[in-house]
Amino acid sequence: MTGQPGPLSPDVAVASLYQQYLVTRHTGRAVRLSIERLVGERSGPSLTVIDFHEVAVIDFSCADEVVARLVFDTLSRPAQGARHYFVLDGMEEAHMDPVSSALERRGLAVAARTAELRPVLLGQVEAEARSVWEALSRAGQAGAVDLAAIMDGDPAACARCLDRLDERRLVRGSGHVYASLFSFLASGDGGPEFESR
Amino acid sequence: MSRVVTVPEEMDHRGFEELLVLLDEAFEEGSDRILLNAKHVRWVSPYGLIGLLAVGRVILDRTGNAPSIEAPESKDVRSYWDFMGFWQAASGIFDVPSVPPRIFGPHDALLEITSIRSHRDVHSVVERVRERAASILEKRLHYPKPAVIQFSVMLSEVCQNIIEHSDADGWVCAQTYHYRERLGREVLMLAVMDVGVGFQGSLAAEHARRYGESWSSATALEAALLYGESRFRDPGRGQGLQAIRRQVDRWKGELAIRSGNAQIAMVPDWDDLPAMQRDLPWFPGAQILIVMPARDESEGR
Repeated sequence: MTGQPGPLSPDVAVASLYQQYLVTRHTGRAVRLSIERLVGERSGPSLTVIDFHEVAVIDFSCADEVVARLVFDTLSRPAQGARHYFVLDGMEEAHMDPVSSALERRGLAVAARTAELRPVLLGQVEAEARSVWEALSRAGQAGAVDLAAIMDGDPAACARCLDRLDERRLVRGSGHVYASLFSFLASGDGGPEFESR
Repeated sequence: MSRVVTVPEEMDHRGFEELLVLLDEAFEEGSDRILLNAKHVRWVSPYGLIGLLAVGRVILDRTGNAPSIEAPESKDVRSYWDFMGFWQAASGIFDVPSVPPRIFGPHDALLEITSIRSHRDVHSVVERVRERAASILEKRLHYPKPAVIQFSVMLSEVCQNIIEHSDADGWVCAQTYHYRERLGREVLMLAVMDVGVGFQGSLAAEHARRYGESWSSATALEAALLYGESRFRDPGRGQGLQAIRRQVDRWKGELAIRSGNAQIAMVPDWDDLPAMQRDLPWFPGAQILIVMPARDESEGR
């Protein structure tokens, strides 16, 4: 288990939002299209960090356009292409309600990190999958067998969970190894505490 | 035929309904020149103030003639209208011979009458009120700090409702005052109105068939507010009103949405507005009222 970049490493880029007020669907659409352009420029697996540090206000409509539609469209693309992952960074309490709500309405989830570097899973995720995600976030990178041992769980069930989390772009998997998306970031240490949404 | 329609002395959401009854009578008589007599208005709320604009707009659209309006005699009420920018907003709607100069200065208004025509207006409103909202919500209504952001989000969503669903221009206005009779506390009242297609019209193409003969203004309001239905099939749509409803409920506030001939309301224990009213005088568009009461000392910060 390691937090160091390795063969799983995607191409990491930061999308700064540079806006204090992320309000209205119109604005959200423009922001999403610019992020999609950034993603589209990369041919291999990518991780885009969407930086919320400057954002003071995000409303529900904008959260739906910027985050939920982005994840929805990414998951709707044909499976044979390169996988693209997202992490929301610098999340404050005021951002989380609109973003979680928008994701839940579409049955989606996204990995996020608070301004205090605490990992949070926003949106709709089953309790078991959430536990596995949290365990992997602590571990950095691990195989299903190792992670199941840490969690005192069933390796096959853990592997199924990790595969599903990878399909949902909440962890990155390659062969038998899985990585927390935070393990690819400069400040990968998410700390010991987790927050459920 | 000319007709004078008297504006109720207390021009709030209840006065607005009284005015619509009188307006219906004037239309039934076939009046095509209408004068709104507001001389005896003693008090007007933000809802009442932009309600007058909405009524004026409907008269203009229906008769083809700009209605006239007689200003209140009360100096206080008149200066409040001046201050809130009523005459500037009214100038394209009413036959206003001369628009009095706008008064600026320190005041209790959170947001003067503001037209909402595009997403840019929503941005501008949200950015403009933030400092004033912080001062009013924290210092006067004793809300915790995050309420300022939550209020901004609510304001944005409620204004977007005009752009996304009404296909018409609208107005927003917000003011604090002492709600002595009903609550004995200060409140912040936010009013948003348009005279567009309304909820029934907006949702009809997507939902009317499913409701069959029961489809009405009332069922459309229920579909939108209680079930988060929208005119779009996209599941991400329709969450704005639901979010507003949740937030107002957390603040123990009141939310009332009038559209067509119905009004749906989330009513706190300090008010007696009916949860649903049907068979009201028909009026186009949507009229939204949000009342946020000052927090009690016992509710903590």
